[in-house]
Amino acid sequence: MRNPIRAISAIARADFLERVRRYSFLLTLLFATLLGYAAATGRITIQLGGYRGVYTSAWIGELVAITTTCFVSLVGFYIVKNAIDRDRRTRVGQVLAATPLSKSAYALGKFASNFAVLASMVVVLAMAAVLMQLYVGEDPHLDLVALLSPFLIVALPAMILTAALAVLFETLPILRGGAGNVAWFFLWVMSIALPETTARHWLDPMGVVTVADSMMAGARAHIPGYKGDFAFNVVDKADKPAQIVPSFHWQGVPWNAWQVLLRLAWLGVAILLVLLAAGLFDRFDSSRRFVAALRRPKQPAVPSEADVSISAVAPLGGVVVGRSAVRLTPLSNSAPTNAFGRLFLAELRLAVKGLRWWWYAVVVGLLAAQFAAPLEAARGPILGTAWMWLVLVWSAMGARESRFGTGALLFSSAHNVLRQLPACWLAGVAIAAIVGIGAGSRLLLAQGWPGLVPWLSGAIFLPSLALALGVWSGTGKPFEGLLSALWYVGPMNHSRGVDFTGTGSGAQADHYALIYFALSAVLVAAAVFGRTRQLRAN
Amino acid sequence: MQLHVQKLSKTYGRDVHALRGVDLSLGPGVLGLLGPNGAGKSTLMRILATISRPSSGRVFWNGADIASNPDGLQNVLGYLPQDFGVYPNLNALEFLEYLAAVKGIAAGAARRRISELLELVNLTDAAKRPLGGYSGGMRQRVGIAQALLNDPQLLIVDEPTAGLDPEERVRFRNLLSELSGERIVILSTHIVSDVEAVATSIAILAHGRLLAHGAPETLLASVSGKVWEVVVASAYLPALRQKHLISSTAHRSDGVHARVVADAAPGREARQLEPSLEDAYLAALAKQRYAANGIAA
Repeated sequence: MRNPIRAISAIARADFLERVRRYSFLLTLLFATLLGYAAATGRITIQLGGYRGVYTSAWIGELVAITTTCFVSLVGFYIVKNAIDRDRRTRVGQVLAATPLSKSAYALGKFASNFAVLASMVVVLAMAAVLMQLYVGEDPHLDLVALLSPFLIVALPAMILTAALAVLFETLPILRGGAGNVAWFFLWVMSIALPETTARHWLDPMGVVTVADSMMAGARAHIPGYKGDFAFNVVDKADKPAQIVPSFHWQGVPWNAWQVLLRLAWLGVAILLVLLAAGLFDRFDSSRRFVAALRRPKQPAVPSEADVSISAVAPLGGVVVGRSAVRLTPLSNSAPTNAFGRLFLAELRLAVKGLRWWWYAVVVGLLAAQFAAPLEAARGPILGTAWMWLVLVWSAMGARESRFGTGALLFSSAHNVLRQLPACWLAGVAIAAIVGIGAGSRLLLAQGWPGLVPWLSGAIFLPSLALALGVWSGTGKPFEGLLSALWYVGPMNHSRGVDFTGTGSGAQADHYALIYFALSAVLVAAAVFGRTRQLRAN
Repeated sequence: MQLHVQKLSKTYGRDVHALRGVDLSLGPGVLGLLGPNGAGKSTLMRILATISRPSSGRVFWNGADIASNPDGLQNVLGYLPQDFGVYPNLNALEFLEYLAAVKGIAAGAARRRISELLELVNLTDAAKRPLGGYSGGMRQRVGIAQALLNDPQLLIVDEPTAGLDPEERVRFRNLLSELSGERIVILSTHIVSDVEAVATSIAILAHGRLLAHGAPETLLASVSGKVWEVVVASAYLPALRQKHLISSTAHRSDGVHARVVADAAPGREARQLEPSLEDAYLAALAKQRYAANGIAA
């Protein structure tokens, strides 16, 4: 294509249409709707030292825009990080690679499609913001400019950056798969904390700090004794609601030209990232992978007509094909055995196949740390990190058949749900037990069997979660994102209940362990139901 | 050993009819399932392989309905789908060992069987290389090996020779012939020569309907005395195509030698030929097309 704009728009249009015509796009919009609902019903709030201002159009606009920025950028990345992978899997990429389409036009097209998907979620949330003001009714004056401008100035630049990073991650081999999904969570955390950690408030890709600074300035004028707290969080009904300060009518960030330019500058950063991605893009040249394996196999000699015709006089009971005579031994017992142990070992081998030596070296290091560190650290952050290290092993569970297209081979075998799925699950639990055996054995020695209960609940819960998410989503991404978040909030920040090692739950560890056991049962049941549904869905 | 297909239909959405009331009854031997693209061959294969469920109709394996008792068939089923994947980090040996475990084949028997199968499909030398580095033809041969792992009584192979080079294609045809003695083999393809070489019976599907089912001789008899060769100038070929069904053409120094399927001789110079399966297949499709358009054949 000679006209690059036409090429970019054609790539973006086709990719966007392919996405919006999938059932999963409805789930994407449903996610945005649920976020909007959570914000509208007061489950997501901004609190300033336990107080908040009146829900003016500006406040609601910024609240929902920040909700969009934070949650849609986090989850939306996982949703859109598949544009190039889809072309790879569907082999459309091979067709595109043979055209004059430039790598930069391709990358920009995918970037535009990613952005269109994220922007559609922003639109849903913007509509939710309007409904929220009408529903809450604290301030009857509906100021559409104040309500909607935060979506343009705060949310959309963050989506632009997310869309570009998704393209970049897909073109970098190391970030293309599960490692990239885990890395994104930490990059996302860093991007929100960037203005604070660098002490440069203008360096704010998500726009959260700019809004927070403006709200805090307003709070100082209206809330006596305000100490500069700013909390953007998800609350539940048990939490104390923020006190409304009736005189605090915040009218929004007084955006100046410099600030608006800074927000616009993220578009430039995004385009640079996409162009970098284009430079790194392999243009679907699969020869860069499995290079060693691509050495040509030894070619057999071309058989003569006489060789080929040997099969016509093959001895009974055997099969002679071409040059070599091969006798297939009939299986003496046609009834299949129920060797679950062998299937379990096969699943175990499949789970760890392809892992490099350094992966095992880290496991050995984490095991050594579990034996050497103080018990509290060993059973908490170190065990949590050891299990986090298994994220890519677990995330393939339940999704492998869909990812590699082996479903037709496996699902036509007998008792798939009763044999292969449990074997896969058990392999996941066994790996958790092996990698966490340092902390587990020390807990057993120090506290006896009761001390092992929280450890066991974690070892069972995580593979159960992976299996259920894998079966239902057909991809490892949900588990990779969720485990990263759980690990960060749980073992690393000792959040009660969320810490799957049980350490953060303190005296209530056993109570939460029971909840984890129950959740595991539900998740395994969900996986069985999902797989049964897959078998019957065709 | 019997497979009965009874009034099988499959509809996608409201108005896409992949199969329309197909009836088939099969015993040991090779069934060549022919049909153009979109005829419903793969849909039928998937239903028989218990991967898909029919919208209506039933399939009986040795008298048992496979919808209510899929395990009975799955234990003795070998299935090579048209499009399948492999785990790229496993080698062929490991992949087959894995599938043998999934199919519940005892360890010792599986080892021996896998070794023989790898030799059979000419992959012994490449058995320990990751599947991710295999060519399309090599992957297809792994697919053939996995379909034979459990010594199946019902072997369903969907476009099995796609991606194979001519030598491997011949090897596979011969293999199917040898295997067919004590089992039912269903070979789906649109390559008539593959079917001609190995099939003991032939079924033709088009637009989800079974147009014909019988021995190759029966199908050949349907066009006996109706296949002609005429020699025409190149310029006259389009006109000839308008009037008759042409199954093949060859350019020679004296003009185009056209192979015509017609009830009566298409010209005074026409020479009668022995019918081929391709002639019979094309004639069956043309007859169905004429019937659909309300034109007398």
